[in-house]
Amino acid sequence: MHEFSISDEIVRNVLVAVKENNGKKVLSIQLEIGELALLNVEQVIFWIHELFKGSVAEGAKVKVRTIKARIKCESCGYKGGIGLDRQDPFQHVIPYSCPKCHSFQINVEKGRECTLRKIQAVR
Amino acid sequence: MKIIRPKGPEIFDIELEKDLLAKNRGLAKENRRRFDRSNILAVDMMGSIGSGKTSLIKAILKRLGMGKKAAVIAGDLTTTIDAERIEAEGARVIQVNTGKECHLDAHLIRRAIERMKLDGVKVLFIENVGNLICPGEFPLGAHKRVVVTSVTEGPYTVIKHPYIFREADVIVLNKMDMAKPMKVNISELERDARQINPQASIIKTNALTGKGIPKIIEALGLKA
Repeated sequence: MHEFSISDEIVRNVLVAVKENNGKKVLSIQLEIGELALLNVEQVIFWIHELFKGSVAEGAKVKVRTIKARIKCESCGYKGGIGLDRQDPFQHVIPYSCPKCHSFQINVEKGRECTLRKIQAVR
Repeated sequence: MKIIRPKGPEIFDIELEKDLLAKNRGLAKENRRRFDRSNILAVDMMGSIGSGKTSLIKAILKRLGMGKKAAVIAGDLTTTIDAERIEAEGARVIQVNTGKECHLDAHLIRRAIERMKLDGVKVLFIENVGNLICPGEFPLGAHKRVVVTSVTEGPYTVIKHPYIFREADVIVLNKMDMAKPMKVNISELERDARQINPQASIIKTNALTGKGIPKIIEALGLKA
């Protein structure tokens, strides 16, 4: 639901960085989005393309790398990724409990990012 | 022979490390420090549209009877209806209109507290925009996060929005008097909430009669 505002902020950051570096045209941008971030990647890409229109970044490629989640379980001490278990109604909605002991008492160490990592531009 | 070649465009990379969500989390930490310095307990009230967030804040304020020692930031898209309703309880109120935004963020809260006189304030309620999705992703720096849902939204609100309920310290199930006419099984709602968030306090309320309000006050560590 907040894809528009996040995309807007990404676009603003891209245009500022390109201007600061005297870029004339943006070829591509690289994003990293955590699989637990509440963002629909397809919508983010759509909005960025839309918001790029009419700027030096119009037509730039938007590459997105998904960052796998990493959790630490406070109940059993498990550290690592989370498997998607479609049998579990909660994991189906959002994969968010310990895959080992199914506890919800977990800390997310990775997987909630939305990072603007790289811009490729022409001077 | 002299060959004149066109000057090729120079392609270059700009490497960045800009986590846009982390930026909000950083600002939220700053807000928290600001609250701590002034000894203010900040409470983020999240919940669906029409679940009773404003009515609950009004009922809590009435019960607390703290007057201007209580403050409220009322978040909404455009109107000042909620701010006016809360003002009637004697608290300091500031309205934050997000315009098009579906949630409050830490930056908006920072701007609100800069404009508010917070001297002498002991408790600050931040009423988020009615929404069970986005606010969960945007911590504001509050000490406690309350998520409100009411039985008139049907029996599946909790299980359909596990993310925001996971974030809650207190889960409020409001409009208990409507459970029967709505044919909502409260114990199932409670069970869903308990499974998603074993640590949260789950409190059943009726904001209009004041039922359950003392329990919220207790769960927030406040005294009436």
